[in-house]
Amino acid sequence: MASIIPVVFILVVVLGLMTCGYLFVPKGPHQTTIRAAIMLTLASCYLMWMITYMAQLHPLITPYHSSKGGESI
Amino acid sequence: MGDDYPTLFRSEEMSLMQFLIPTEVAHDTVAELGELGNVQFKDLNPTVNPFQRSFVGEIRRTDEMARRVRFFESQIQKEKDVVPIRPLYDSAPLVTVGPSAAHNIDGLDVTLAGHETRLGQMNDSYKTLSERTRELVEARHVLRETAVFFEKAETQQTDIRTSFDDSSAPLLQHDDREQQYLSSVQFDLEFVAGTIDRTRISTFERVLWRVLRGNLYMNHTDITEPFVDPATGTETRKNVFIIFAHGDALLAKIRKVAESMGATLYPIDANADKRSDSLREVTARLEDLETVLYNTGLNRRSELLRIGENLARWQDVVRKEKAIYETMNLFNYDVRRKTLVAEGWVPTRDFAMIHMALRHATEESGTSVVPILQELHTSKTPPTFTRTNKFSEGFQTIMDAYGIATYQEVNPGLFAIVTFPFLFAVMFGDIGHGLIIFFAALYMIFQEKKWARQELNEIVGQFFYGRYIILLMGMFSVYTGLMYNDIFSKSLHIWHSGWDFPEPASNGASYAVSNGHMYPFGVDPAWHGADNGLMFTNSYKMKMSIVLGVIHMTFALCLQLPNHIKFKRPLDIYANFIPQMIFLQSIFGYLVVCILYKWSIDWSTRDTEPPSLLNMLIAMILSPGKVDATAQLYRGQGFIQVVLLLLAVVCVPWMLCMKPYFQWKEMQMIQGQGYVGLGHRNGGPRESTDEVLENEEEGNGRAIVEEMEEEHEQHDFSEVVIHQIIHTIEFCLGCISHTASYLRLWALSLAHAQLSEVLWSMTIEKFLGLSGIFGTIALVMVVVFWFSATVFILCLMEGLSAFLHALRLHWVEANSKHYQGEGYLFMPLSFAKLDEKE
Repeated sequence: MASIIPVVFILVVVLGLMTCGYLFVPKGPHQTTIRAAIMLTLASCYLMWMITYMAQLHPLITPYHSSKGGESI
Repeated sequence: MGDDYPTLFRSEEMSLMQFLIPTEVAHDTVAELGELGNVQFKDLNPTVNPFQRSFVGEIRRTDEMARRVRFFESQIQKEKDVVPIRPLYDSAPLVTVGPSAAHNIDGLDVTLAGHETRLGQMNDSYKTLSERTRELVEARHVLRETAVFFEKAETQQTDIRTSFDDSSAPLLQHDDREQQYLSSVQFDLEFVAGTIDRTRISTFERVLWRVLRGNLYMNHTDITEPFVDPATGTETRKNVFIIFAHGDALLAKIRKVAESMGATLYPIDANADKRSDSLREVTARLEDLETVLYNTGLNRRSELLRIGENLARWQDVVRKEKAIYETMNLFNYDVRRKTLVAEGWVPTRDFAMIHMALRHATEESGTSVVPILQELHTSKTPPTFTRTNKFSEGFQTIMDAYGIATYQEVNPGLFAIVTFPFLFAVMFGDIGHGLIIFFAALYMIFQEKKWARQELNEIVGQFFYGRYIILLMGMFSVYTGLMYNDIFSKSLHIWHSGWDFPEPASNGASYAVSNGHMYPFGVDPAWHGADNGLMFTNSYKMKMSIVLGVIHMTFALCLQLPNHIKFKRPLDIYANFIPQMIFLQSIFGYLVVCILYKWSIDWSTRDTEPPSLLNMLIAMILSPGKVDATAQLYRGQGFIQVVLLLLAVVCVPWMLCMKPYFQWKEMQMIQGQGYVGLGHRNGGPRESTDEVLENEEEGNGRAIVEEMEEEHEQHDFSEVVIHQIIHTIEFCLGCISHTASYLRLWALSLAHAQLSEVLWSMTIEKFLGLSGIFGTIALVMVVVFWFSATVFILCLMEGLSAFLHALRLHWVEANSKHYQGEGYLFMPLSFAKLDEKE
């Protein structure tokens, strides 16, 4: 069965990337903008992935087709 | 913070500067500052009537020049063959600063006046000549048509005469008599000839018939070519008429009637030779006129071409001069020292740049007296200036549309750079559609330089202005499309699916079996096309909307902290921020935690049924402490929920009472110390710099115009209480309604996915099975239709809809948690922005 470990693992990775983003953006007129953009992008993309992953971890319903065949597209 | 670099996090620090400019350098200084675009000048003569200001004469002169330039522009636009206007970056420069400036401007004035008079003269003569031409053409028509009438009448007359003769007379005798009659064709009928509007001809006939009691013979024909009025371009159709009547009285009546009906009469001679002579004369005059008209037209065109070479430059110069003199009208004239005093807001960071600009201006003008620049101390709120570049400009604008940020408060535009496209993408998630808008934005960005110089259509201009927003929207949409596993309503099978479908049973049903894999990135493709696919997707998207919504609101709430810290309002942290955060988290933060927790449990190993979270939340509030053991999410749930509910309930009086109480105590303290009525602002005055203090000693540290400020808070206690009540109610009710409002993320993404699927299944899917040449052609046509419907309905229409909803989420749900938005925009004198305004 799938477990919750990838969620935690990726969370750690993303936090690490965010820290790198904060520390390693060079000083300049755009430092704040680039930092904010990188950190917010990482956070929001992780959030969406995490929610999608967790929604499918232990699903309460199973998919079914009632008619013949159905598109397996 | 306080670095050398500007940031988007807060608006720039501004200072009020006072300029002491010697009058000779004033024009050039303002021109230089206008090129720089960094100073917003204050109006130091607010009570002065615009007609009484010092530079009214110059403004009038530039207005006159502007009128002439506008006249040229309209004349050029009216030309049928396009007259090219040399664009500004290609035009020869006209020096407007320095010692030769006045001479150049005078020269420009003279040139413009000269062009105007010449153009006016040519237009007038062209008009007169056209009128003449028209009249002559009408006369020619009249001559031609009446010739036909006369010939017809001749033959008729001879017929009439010969019919009375004896038919038995010998032929020779007849010939003699015919010759006689032919040689001296005399009419004893007189006539009136002319032209009249085709619409009036029948009325004319009727009126004449009644007036003359039928004693007339009238004939008329159409003139086939219409006459075009040169001024308005309208066409009128005319007829030629000729009226034969007998007697002077009748002819006079005819003439009067004709004139009253608006006909034009022409003198036609009865003699055929004389008629052909006049025809020749008219033709000759027409040819001459045509030549003259042609030459005038050529001259006019060459004049316009000459004007077109310089028109853009003249427009630019005139606009700048007007702006300069209008700005100079704002200055105060200090009679003692013969200088102009100006005050303006300047970003503190740009102080050195302004200083250099002033020095540059004095060098250009050739004088040696440098304008003096000093900082003033004031308690007025400066304007809000956020330094943006072409990328962040779009985002800042859409957030500014809600309200300009208060001076130096946290700028939501910075975070909107990512959160706005992200929330848009949650509602728009489709890889295919995301790629379409991504490439559209990329195309606009590659054409940036060219399009920036053109004048774009209003709608295209809007899209072009937001090209970076659209670019990011496209990028995030591809990502969310990957998450929703949706590309043009189909799903991708990149990794191993987590469900296997067995052979369908006898009734065709087929229930999937989990095979232990977990689709690592996005929604499992097995859900696509499943009958209960929507059930899963709806639950997933609704919960996602709530989770994202609560996190977005929490983030926005936290933005209050930097504001309270910066403006030194510790009371607000304890009285507003903390209870608001506790209230939000204890109910909705708890809901989010429950959602995530419920997802993380393997319910097959639990003996309780998975509880409905919505019912759980409602029960938490309506019947706290009572949790059915069979429907509990975790042990001890009842107790924890009661605690959370109590926390939330405690926050309400906390928010209501703490701040008014402390402010009341402060007021008591102030009144106790004997100060009366002076409110004080939360910001506090800035410390004076050394320069200001030094200048104060010399007596010129104060701002010249310091109006009585109406910005002091009303320290009426009732106002404070009412304000806090409204604030509390707004926040608490807002929490609930805004959380539900985030469900639009689900609603729009559902609508988008369904629209996309319907489009596919109604168009291409129906044509995929067809074979043969007709099948292929039909398929191609349907694909074209499908693609255009995708672009226009799904990308444009849905895109605009999702844009609007994402914007609303930012403006209402997020901004209400931290934004004050009471600032005013920094509007410097900037020549670059002048042509944007036009």
